[in-house]
Amino acid sequence: MQWACHNPAMLTFVAALACAIALDAAPDVLVSRQLAARAHLTVGDTVTLAADANGARARTFRVAGVYEPTPDPMRFTAERIEGRLHLPDLIALTADPHDPASAESVNTINMTLAPGIDTRRFIADLASQAPGVTGWPTARSRDDDPFVVLDRFHLAISVVTVVGSTAFLLALMVIRAEERRDTIAILRMVGISRRSLLTSVAVEGLVTAIAGAIFGVALAFTTEGLVNRIFQTRYDTALVFVRVTPALAWRAVAVAAPLGIAAGLAASWTLLRRNILSLFRR
Amino acid sequence: MPASLVVEARGVSRVFPMSAGPVTALRDVTLHVAAGEYVAIAGPSGCGKSTLLHLVGCVDTPSSGSILFEHRDVAALSEAARSRIRLTRIGFVFQRFFLLPMLTAAENIELPQAEAGVAPAARRARTRALLEYVELVDRADHLPSQLSGGEMQRIAIARALANNPVLLVADEPTGELDETTGEHIADLFDRVHADGTAILVVTHNPTLAIRASRRLAMKSGSLVA
Ligand SMILES: Nc1ncnc2c1ncn2[C@@H]1O[C@H](COP(=O)(O)OP(=O)(O)OP(=O)(O)O)[C@@H](O)[C@H]1O
Ligand SMILES: [Mg+2]
Repeated sequence: MQWACHNPAMLTFVAALACAIALDAAPDVLVSRQLAARAHLTVGDTVTLAADANGARARTFRVAGVYEPTPDPMRFTAERIEGRLHLPDLIALTADPHDPASAESVNTINMTLAPGIDTRRFIADLASQAPGVTGWPTARSRDDDPFVVLDRFHLAISVVTVVGSTAFLLALMVIRAEERRDTIAILRMVGISRRSLLTSVAVEGLVTAIAGAIFGVALAFTTEGLVNRIFQTRYDTALVFVRVTPALAWRAVAVAAPLGIAAGLAASWTLLRRNILSLFRR
Repeated sequence: MPASLVVEARGVSRVFPMSAGPVTALRDVTLHVAAGEYVAIAGPSGCGKSTLLHLVGCVDTPSSGSILFEHRDVAALSEAARSRIRLTRIGFVFQRFFLLPMLTAAENIELPQAEAGVAPAARRARTRALLEYVELVDRADHLPSQLSGGEMQRIAIARALANNPVLLVADEPTGELDETTGEHIADLFDRVHADGTAILVVTHNPTLAIRASRRLAMKSGSLVA
């Protein structure tokens, strides 16, 4: 296969080899932050690694750095006890000395396609040019992606929340309108038109709803960090669990504003459609 | 003579359909108020005085008969048109003042002007003039709760006059006030009348009734001579 010539890992290998020869030191290993903490490792420490549980064919490595594992939402509950070796070191460590082919064979290569390249076509090309090599996309189809399912679940929760809070808002506005019964009666008596009253109620509903939405968004923004910190500590990961994006904030305002106006108007209409005399409590 | 009529009630009846049976509040009432006239109505409680004021003030419409406000049949008008008449042609004064509690005295007077589309500067000038008229300039920024009954009623009168109405309709305007304060209100009504505004007032207060140029009595939903 052609990949070896262009493989950056191979280049790294060459570079690492050069380094190793120059310094006559043990090869490098990177350890995850979690592993470093667990095994009390610091940069420069020497560690012995073996692929075999009995410690056979162990090799010595130098801890060259500690890295934060790339957060993976599929595995956030898993403890990230792991390390990274240069590919030749890994092969040397894991190859079976009685089977010369074991150092030559590769089962799987992960590759990232440049943006714009069609995965299916690439896989088809690969299959036709290298018979026996099969490719498959790691991206899941929308239907079995657990995050899509989770997303739909969140959407359902938000719809229920919005419907519930609208009912609550409407009830509040009806109570508030009822409290203003006398005021509305006086205003209509002295000639303030229904239209003016509805307009002012709509403006009030809009202002209330936008204030509520802003409060909600501000609350979300301020608690976002707290929620993330709690879960990040709980699962020892750098994964971001909650992210309040501007688009999300705008959507909240865009949903709240018309609902606020509608609730205000609906509540006031119960008073405005009645005749004036019936508004005065007798 | 007919050209100077502000409002006219022709054979007006008002029946309130109630669950326990219809209540006839007014029975075949005929009345007219000419421009600049001062009319007082008295009568026992429940005889239909307020009901008549509501009809004359374009708040309500009769069950039968007709109300002509400045020669227009009120029943034929839309609610919006009646609202416009109440706003620009009629001023209301109530026994319990009915000022808006969250607005200051000046704002209460400005509100009907704002609704009528008066420009802010003109509105402020008119409000100031009205506060001077009722001698309460120093209370302009006070809330109704910070005013006495008499002061509240003076502000209410200023509000009623805000859009230069042709008719001031008042229902027991001194009903909640002591005698001396009632007399001040009566004096104020005299000035309003002298300035050419017609007044239709329902009152039990002889001090106020005596100032009217015409006094009417009501009994059981009808005007009596
Ligand atoms: N909106 C209404 N619905 C039902 N009945 C009413 C209504 N308004 C007035 N009435 C009835 O009509 C009659 C006349 O009422 P109105 O308020 O006009 O009397 P009034 O002369 O103003 O009395 P008062 O001096 O006590 O204010 C009363 O029997 C009253 O119960
Ligand atoms: Mg009455």
